[in-house]
This record gives sequence, C-alpha cells and structure tokens, in this order.
Amino acid sequence: MSNMPDPTDPKLAGINIPNPTQFGAEGDNDQHAKEAYFTASQGQLIWARFKKQRAAMIAAFFLVFLIFSGLFAPFLSPYDPTVAGRNKDYTNGAPQIPQFCDKNGCSLRPFIHPVERERSLATNFRWVTKINEDKRSYLTFLPKGDAYKLFGVIKSDRHLFGLEEGKLHVFGTDEDGQDIFSRTLHAIWTSLQVGTIGVLIAFVLALIIGGVSGYYGGWIDSVIQMITDAFRTVPAIPLFMAVAAFMPPEISAEARFFYISIILGFIGWPTLARRIRTHLLTERNQEYVLAAQLCGASSSHVIRRHLLPSFTSYIIVDLVISFPYMVLSETALSFIGLGLKDPVSSLGVMLQKATSADVMLNYQWYFIPVAFFIVLVMAFVFVGDGLRDAADPYSEVNK
Amino acid sequence: MLNFARFVITRAVMALITLIIVSLFVFLLMELVPGDCAERYLAFKNTQGSSIQIANELEAERQRLGLDRPFLERWSKWIVGAFQGEFGNSCILRVNIADLLGDKFLLSLGICLASLALAYAIAIPVGIIAAASNNPYLNNSLRIISYLGLAMPNFLLALMIMLFATVYFGETLTGLFSSQYRDAPWSWARFVDLLKHAWLPVFILGWSATAFALQTVRALMSDEIGKLYVTAATARGVHGRKLLWRYPARHALGPIINSLGFDLNRIFNELPIVALILVMTDAGKLLIDALARSNDQQLAGAIIFLLTASIVALNFFTDILLATIDPRVRKSIVR
Repeated sequence: MSNMPDPTDPKLAGINIPNPTQFGAEGDNDQHAKEAYFTASQGQLIWARFKKQRAAMIAAFFLVFLIFSGLFAPFLSPYDPTVAGRNKDYTNGAPQIPQFCDKNGCSLRPFIHPVERERSLATNFRWVTKINEDKRSYLTFLPKGDAYKLFGVIKSDRHLFGLEEGKLHVFGTDEDGQDIFSRTLHAIWTSLQVGTIGVLIAFVLALIIGGVSGYYGGWIDSVIQMITDAFRTVPAIPLFMAVAAFMPPEISAEARFFYISIILGFIGWPTLARRIRTHLLTERNQEYVLAAQLCGASSSHVIRRHLLPSFTSYIIVDLVISFPYMVLSETALSFIGLGLKDPVSSLGVMLQKATSADVMLNYQWYFIPVAFFIVLVMAFVFVGDGLRDAADPYSEVNK
Repeated sequence: MLNFARFVITRAVMALITLIIVSLFVFLLMELVPGDCAERYLAFKNTQGSSIQIANELEAERQRLGLDRPFLERWSKWIVGAFQGEFGNSCILRVNIADLLGDKFLLSLGICLASLALAYAIAIPVGIIAAASNNPYLNNSLRIISYLGLAMPNFLLALMIMLFATVYFGETLTGLFSSQYRDAPWSWARFVDLLKHAWLPVFILGWSATAFALQTVRALMSDEIGKLYVTAATARGVHGRKLLWRYPARHALGPIINSLGFDLNRIFNELPIVALILVMTDAGKLLIDALARSNDQQLAGAIIFLLTASIVALNFFTDILLATIDPRVRKSIVR
C-alpha cells in the first residue's frame, strides 16, 4: 500500500501534487513537482486527492460548519436549550423571521413583531396570543442572556444575537416553549459527542479483537470470526433496544448519555474488527513486509514503519464512515424512548413529540431540525466516501 | 452430487452453530436483566392481594420455574424449545409467547421480505442501466438518491410521509388492518385489506434497502462491464440488452445474492421503529413494547432470536442457491 517513500518534508506541504501520468515532460518545474510527489507523505497525498473531489469538498465545508455550530452551540443559540430557557408566553409558537420592512415603513435594523398574550371577555377568557404589528422589537448583537459554559470552562452569558425585549424564536418553540433553534444546535453537538464516544469505543474493541484475530490467524482467527459473524447476524437496533432496556430508568441524564454511547460502541465493533483483521491478514503477507524482513528489520520496526502506516488511513476512513450509523442509531433509540431523555437535546428526543396528528397538522416547525440532521449525516457520508477514494492509492490508476 | 450434499450439510451445520452462538447472546441478555421471573410473578401475586412470605415463596417459585438449575441446563432447555418455536411464558404478560406472537411474526417477516423484493425489483434494472450508460447526470442523481436513502433514516421518512398525508389528505395512514378485520380470522377480504395497508411499510422499509441495493448493483455492474469477456462478446456482435443480461449481469448476480442476508438484517433494523410510527400490530411493535414499556426480556429475546434465525435461514438458502446457479462456486466446493 505505501509504495510511496515516506520522508516528510515540511516544505512540501503546500505544493500541489500533479497527476503522475503527466510526468513525461522535462523541466525544472516538472522536476520539482515530481520530487514533491514522490517524497510527499501519505497524508499529503490523501489531501491532494481529496481536494480534487468536488462533492467531498463541499460536504467537508458543511461538516466543518456543522461541527463548529455544535461546538459553539451555547454561544450561537440565543437561549438555554432546556426548560430553564423556555418562553412560557410563546408555547408551540411559530418561527419568527426577522424582517426589515413592515406596513409602517422600513428600518435598517432587522426586527420582529412581538407577540402578546391576552385573556379577556373578548377572547372568551382563554389565553390568546396575537402578533402586535404596531410594535417592533429590534435584533441586538451580543446581548446578555442565560449563563453558560463554553467547552465546559469559559463562563459567559453573552449570546450571538437576541432581541432588545422579549425573545426571538427563529425556528419556533415546542410545547414547553423551548426554543427549537437553540435545541437544534445543542442536538448537533450531542450527536457529535455520542458518535465520537461510540466510534472510539467500537474502534478500541475492534482493534483488540480484529488485531488478535489478524495477528495470530489459524484457529484463533476462525473462532473469533465465527463469533463475530454470529454477532453481525443479529439485527443491531433490536439488540440496541434490548441492551438499552438494562438502564435503570432513574439514572441521571448525563449517566444515560454515557451508557448510550457505550452501548453504541459495544454493538458497533464487528464491522470494524473485520476490516482491521482483513487489512492485517492481507498486509502481513505483502512483498514489502517480506522485503523489510529480509533486510533484517525487527518485527516491531515492521509493524511501526510499514504495517501501521499502511492502514491508518483506512482505519480513519472506516471511522468516518461508521460515524453516521452511530448518530442515526442514537436518534432512533432516543426517538422510541430508550435512548437519551428530555433535558438532553437530541434529534430523537425532539422528534418524540412530533408523531401526534396535532403536531403534524398545526406545528410543522417541529420538523425543521430534521433537515440539519440529514445534512450532517450526508456530509459525513460524502466526506467518508471522498476519503475512502483518496486513501486508495490505486484509485487513480484504475481510472 | 455427493460433494454437493456435503456442501449443503456443512452449510447447515455452520448455520446451526451461528444460531447456537446467537442464542447464547440472547439468553445471556435475558439473564442479565435485573430481577428474574420468580420475582416478577410474586410481585404480580402481591398486587392481586395475596400476602406471602417473600423469602420462602421466592425460593419455591424459583424451583417451580426451574430457575435454580445451572446456567447451561437452562440455556440448553431454552434453545431446544426455541428450535421448536416454543419460548415458554412471558413472565410479565403471563401468557405463552408463541401464542402472543402468533402470526404477527410471520406478518412482519412477510412485510420485510416484500420490501427486500421491492428493493431489488427496482435496483437491478435501474442499477444495470446506470452502470451501462455514461450519462453523468443519471449517475450523479442516482448517487445522491442512494446517499439520501442512507441519510434519511426510515423512521424520518415514515414521519415525513405521515406529515404529508395528514396535511394534504387528512389521513394518518397507520395500522395494518382496518378495524373490522383486525381480529378477524384469515380470509381473502382480510388479505386484501392487509395489502391496502401494507404498501406503506413495505415502501418505507424498501426505500433505504433500494438505495443500498442500487449502489451494490451499479458498482458490481460497472466492474464487470469493463472486463475483457464483455469486450470479446461485443466483438462477436452481441450488443444492447442481450449483451448486458447474458454476460456482465450474470457475473454480478453472485455477490448480489450473497448480500441478501445483510439487506434483510438492515430491514429488520428499521422494522421496530417504522412499526411504532405506523402503529402496526406486528412483531416490531411487540418488541418495542416488550423493551420500552414493560422490560419483558423473554418476549424480546424470542423476537430477536426469531429475527436472527430468519436471517441465518436466508443466508443458508442464498448459499445453496449460489452453488446451484454459479458453476464456479460449485466447482470450488467439489474441489
């Protein structure tokens, strides 16, 4: 696999690597480019191939954008995503879109019309919310709001945007009056966290099991493969559900979060383990390993300098590809009520209430977060696919 | 012929071993849940007003249920029962699991197999056409549709379809039967009623399966189309549909048949959640009820075991099928 020499020259990092088929022409530039190509590290080669794929690059931008919006969710979201940040005067409220103009003229600052609740003889003594079109509530930047801790350390109460008075709900509110926009951003972060922990646990298990299997081979390999295959035959989500049912219902939301991630990891390992085993089995019989051994390299040298670099890129790709499955499983599990529970924002939790006909007919903005999740999962899939093509040194030769 | 029989027997034994390992997982899972059946029964009796000495009664009850036997004995008893379709009693609902499941499991299996069939009925022709044509727009749009099938989990699709149906048609499209047929015995009218309701779950479950199958078929076909024997056949004057069907498609068929088992696995994954959303009264819903509402591990274990058993069975049959239709596989067995 690593048929390219490995020396890493920091000078070369920025060099655009040309297609190896263009090397026929002579010249200083070509010579330089050629040298850059043959001395580039594997990481540089992968990045150069990855950059050529338009779909994957676009997806990568989306992915980075979503990761950052998840990372800075407490700052970007105007309100606290839990009941603490709820707007009790605007439950099941429609999205409010900031506007520049209304019937009273235009303004340079975006504003919304605030809603007012009233209960009087005219409304038959029921609470009725209505939009007051004569009042304007202007958008402000960096207002003070609910206190939060960014990355768990930086204390702050500034949010990116808010209203001078009242509350702004870009995606509307749910039945408790919680801001759906804030919850969506936090839910993205939750998904990323669950996915990361799950993937890491699955990865460690897969590395141990697949490593043992691929390294020893023989009957150990056969037995482990038989068990892995049997495990893979069991449909995962029903199994998730059965294992998730172990969780005592009274544990805290944070503990639940970790349990779920661990369960996802424990159930997600077989596919990864199998790939690691296959990589190991094929790689250890390659000629370059034999060549290194014949040159007198110790087995630790072979493993460190040849075997590991030959498939780290594959492993990273596999991890990226298995990520969306983790996210989707968590969403499904939370959705049926076996996963995360309410104070934690997660797409599954948010959609739990959305199945009733009442919500479907009257409050369709409950479904806005779905779009974000489709984008998130698609971005991961496209990036994973792009990385897979980029990590395969033969992908260009075949075309 | 003798070799073929030996192949079938080897495969059957391997399937059996897989099932035994799976039954061990499932049984361990059932055992690990805090609280055993004896406690549940006693708790139930207590709610019925009989006051009993817990400690003594618990032991007696355990003995009666055979819970004091060693693990291996209980496991082997369970697995022998499981192979006969007998899973004992659910200790929460206090009814026989086989009776409870009844034809619900077969119904679910039927729906899943129908989705599988739908997926390949669409994927095979479309995938072949996509692989044969050089139209980049067709290929790219198929790629996006396939990814969408992955990114849009079935339960979201189900929700969206219901959202659409409720908003535009004022109908919720839920359930598997109309109310008058729900508990009626099987008849032609009931079957027709089932078909009227089942198309939606079949479509939803088939959706992501189709996306995956499309990817597989297209990739396999584009691999095969580039090979020399196809060029040779073209040189001999075979062309068009005849060329595609007679040469590359037959080669691509093997891996597709091989992957059927995993496709069924994927469909089963989605089944419980789709069943929950569409309020279907099938095994998937029972599974969710068993786990989320009542923590009924006996029922859950039985369903997981049955689901896995059907996948193993399908894998077994596809192996045999592959050996019968593909001379290369057959030769490699005879060896």
